[in-house]
Amino acid sequence: MTEPRQVHTAVEYLVARVLLVGGLAGLALIALGLGIYAAHGGFHHQVLVLKREPGATPPGVFSSLRQVAQGVRRRPIDPLAVSAIGLVLLMLTPGVAVAVALPCFVAARDYRHATIAAAVLSMLLVSLLLAGALH
Amino acid sequence: MSLTIFSLAVLFTSLGAGVVGAILGLGGGILLVPILTVFYGVDIHYAMGASIISVIATSSGAAASYLRTGLSNLRIGLFLVVATISGALTGAFLAGVVPTRWLELILGFALSYSAYTTIRQLADELPEDVSTDRLAIRFGLEGAYHDLRLQRHVSYRARNVVGGFTAMFGAGVLSGMLGIGSGAFKVLAMDYLMRLPMKVSTATSNFMIGLTAAASAGIYFSRGDIHVLIVAPVAIGVMAGAYMGTHLIAYMRNTTVRKLFLPIVVYLALSMILRGLGIHLL
Repeated sequence: MTEPRQVHTAVEYLVARVLLVGGLAGLALIALGLGIYAAHGGFHHQVLVLKREPGATPPGVFSSLRQVAQGVRRRPIDPLAVSAIGLVLLMLTPGVAVAVALPCFVAARDYRHATIAAAVLSMLLVSLLLAGALH
Repeated sequence: MSLTIFSLAVLFTSLGAGVVGAILGLGGGILLVPILTVFYGVDIHYAMGASIISVIATSSGAAASYLRTGLSNLRIGLFLVVATISGALTGAFLAGVVPTRWLELILGFALSYSAYTTIRQLADELPEDVSTDRLAIRFGLEGAYHDLRLQRHVSYRARNVVGGFTAMFGAGVLSGMLGIGSGAFKVLAMDYLMRLPMKVSTATSNFMIGLTAAASAGIYFSRGDIHVLIVAPVAIGVMAGAYMGTHLIAYMRNTTVRKLFLPIVVYLALSMILRGLGIHLL
């Protein structure tokens, strides 16, 4: 009977790096957007809408990537759209981490875990497509 | 409430939720959703949107550190997340077909049993003998880490892989149908069924919840449930808290983590039974 091994390879470090960089980059954009918003006096003028009214889209709510892109292209720029890019980046980070792990498993000839990573990735894509279909 | 005060208050609340989430392997939704709705008057849809982002932020903040130290097991996490996400997708399709009240009652009683087994295992620091589970050996569901509290190298291998995988699928179905997070179920399945060290269970759950949340985050986003001004302080606070939590857990005993986890299981069991009886705590 074999003793448990420490399965700690380059894949773990790479996935950890992606999670950290993706998380921090997302956070930096969220903070940047909030910073611009505060500099434009947003925190003084804005009355935060905490209740969701059907059909209404209060400032700070984006329901598609197109709306986020429009907010970034607008002049003056919509600072909350900058934060929204950070949020989208944060949402994509776990998927990107698995996408990065997949070729690492293949390179290490660990086809079993490469297949598992591919299965996880395809399920994430299916759910993204479902979200797109919802819109 | 002014936006500045609201943002600061939510930031500090989320900091605490991040610490707890990182240690217990939960996304923080179980804490954040009630606090945001009851104390800050946030709409339940926006609170759930904030919760899903908080799960991803906790996971990114904590799992990055856990993967480096070896507490989080990438291979076990990926293997089990296949069951959870496919379960969640199945659950999303079954929602509305199966009466949820019966499910809530069954889940409540299953969780009560889990609470009982958690109490029985309270004093177990580490599983004693080495597992010979064939699937665990085949899929490399094993690992090792250096325990700073115990000052020794701890190696482990999963047991009862079929049971753990099935429980994860079931947890995924239930979370998809009932709209509840499944971090607690993941920890229970890894700790109780697969007999992984408690700290490995919560750290691996931290990695997994990010993936399961990412699978549903897009749906929340397209529904318009993610409000930047509510979510931004949550994400910043939770991620900072999760980072602090990863440093705390390194110096904790497995038994301490299990003791902290017990009230969460008891709360979940009670709230599910009450929901099944038609009484909503929120």
